Amino acid sequence: MNAVTVKKITISYRLLNKFSIKKNLLKKKKKSTKEEKFNAIKNVSFELEKGKILGVVGKNGSGKSTLLRAMAGIFSVDEGTIDLHGNTVSLLSIGVGFQKKLTGYENIFLSGLLLGFNKKQIEEKLDEIIDFSELGDFINKPVSTYSSGMYSKLAFAITAILETDIMLIDEVLSVGDISFKQKSYDKMKELINDDDRTVIIVSHNLSTLKELCDEILWIHEGSMKMIGDTKTVLAEYESFMKKGVAK
Amino acid sequence: MKSFIYNIKKYFNYSLYSAKATLKSEVAGSHLNWVWWILEPICFMLIYTFLVQIVFSAREPYFPVFVLIGLTIWDFFKRMANGSVKLISSNKNIVSKVYLPKYILLISKSLTYLFKFGVSALLIVIVMIIFKVPFTISLLFIIPLIILLYLISFGISSILMHFGVFVEDLSNVVNIVLRLLFYMSGIFYSIGSMVPTPYNEILLNLNPIAFTIDSFRLVVINGQLPNMEILIIWFVIGFILCLIGIKLINKYENSYAKVIS
Repeated sequence: MNAVTVKKITISYRLLNKFSIKKNLLKKKKKSTKEEKFNAIKNVSFELEKGKILGVVGKNGSGKSTLLRAMAGIFSVDEGTIDLHGNTVSLLSIGVGFQKKLTGYENIFLSGLLLGFNKKQIEEKLDEIIDFSELGDFINKPVSTYSSGMYSKLAFAITAILETDIMLIDEVLSVGDISFKQKSYDKMKELINDDDRTVIIVSHNLSTLKELCDEILWIHEGSMKMIGDTKTVLAEYESFMKKGVAK
Repeated sequence: MKSFIYNIKKYFNYSLYSAKATLKSEVAGSHLNWVWWILEPICFMLIYTFLVQIVFSAREPYFPVFVLIGLTIWDFFKRMANGSVKLISSNKNIVSKVYLPKYILLISKSLTYLFKFGVSALLIVIVMIIFKVPFTISLLFIIPLIILLYLISFGISSILMHFGVFVEDLSNVVNIVLRLLFYMSGIFYSIGSMVPTPYNEILLNLNPIAFTIDSFRLVVINGQLPNMEILIIWFVIGFILCLIGIKLINKYENSYAKVIS
């Protein structure tokens, strides 16, 4: 069963300067403010079965993050379709919608509701989140009093424990001190390896990808270069990148 | 429209929670805390009462109630219009990271303004008691008037929110227009008696804020009913404005994240 079907999508950014009334009044005639279009993703299609893990590789600026954002519904695609077959989806990101003057406890609800969960679901997971974040009594203190490590621990705990069917991960996150790093990495792995969960990971860390992924999609300058099983694609990709360095 | 109702249901808790959170964090740092919500309208009421009654020596019965009604309604509208223009870019970290129907942001914002409106409205009641304004059955008509105010404000704000994403200096324009509107809405004077006919009629009927304020006063202070025909016409217009706004947002909200950065 497919969890993700992406058909021939193209995503473009319009490289236009924002319209400004002042500038347009002062300028007598517009100097051809032609909309320059920049296609971040060109004609990409792929399918992913439920429970599979897809890694996405490509050099910087090749459109990997854009692809993830489009799948999360943040960006619109200009052509083509993305069908998630009714699965819930989230782009793993840290500390969305936090209000710094509120307590950690309140921010769990704020962030959770924003991610589309209802109150009951959050309440069920509440203890687990607080427990995982290792914050103890600090959970009832305003987030502005947290150290940056505590902040990211809480943020990570929220995103990691409120799970969705499809997870989109932009760089495997590991935060905090060494022990929490290990813990968060293990938690990520546990989430990713769940048989019911479909995961798409963007990463530059090839060893992580090798360890986790079933399939790899290689995007080069917005177009699909290769898709296939992890070993073959990564081997090709590695030799390609090395060639690039040698030049 | 269906999706609108579905989304409202789905995200209502978020908008409520986020509104509460905004209100809480607004006062968390200040010394007087929530007292500001009461202090602010009272101070403005005193200022205008002083200005108009003593400096301009104009006479309106129950002037503090009169001006407080004007301020309460105006503040709600102004906050909505002002707040909506930069709403998307000020919520950049949400907009660029998670999908959320963008009008939810506006609804959440409007809830915080409604709360302030409510505080102000309570003050009106208190001042009414102090100045012994008679309470009449026609007071019930403030309910449709408040709904009308919300519809008009939400409609205009949602359209402003959409264009605010693409037009950089829209907020400057909105500021100027709001200032103009402030003087044309009869916040601290009565359009009906201060503006010569036929302009007062035109102003009252064509400016929804002036109409709302005037009807509100009519209902609260004089115990009379508002002009039904015009009320219904504005209701329809407000509804259409909301529809346009929501349609616009629905259609373009997925490109907002691309534009702001």
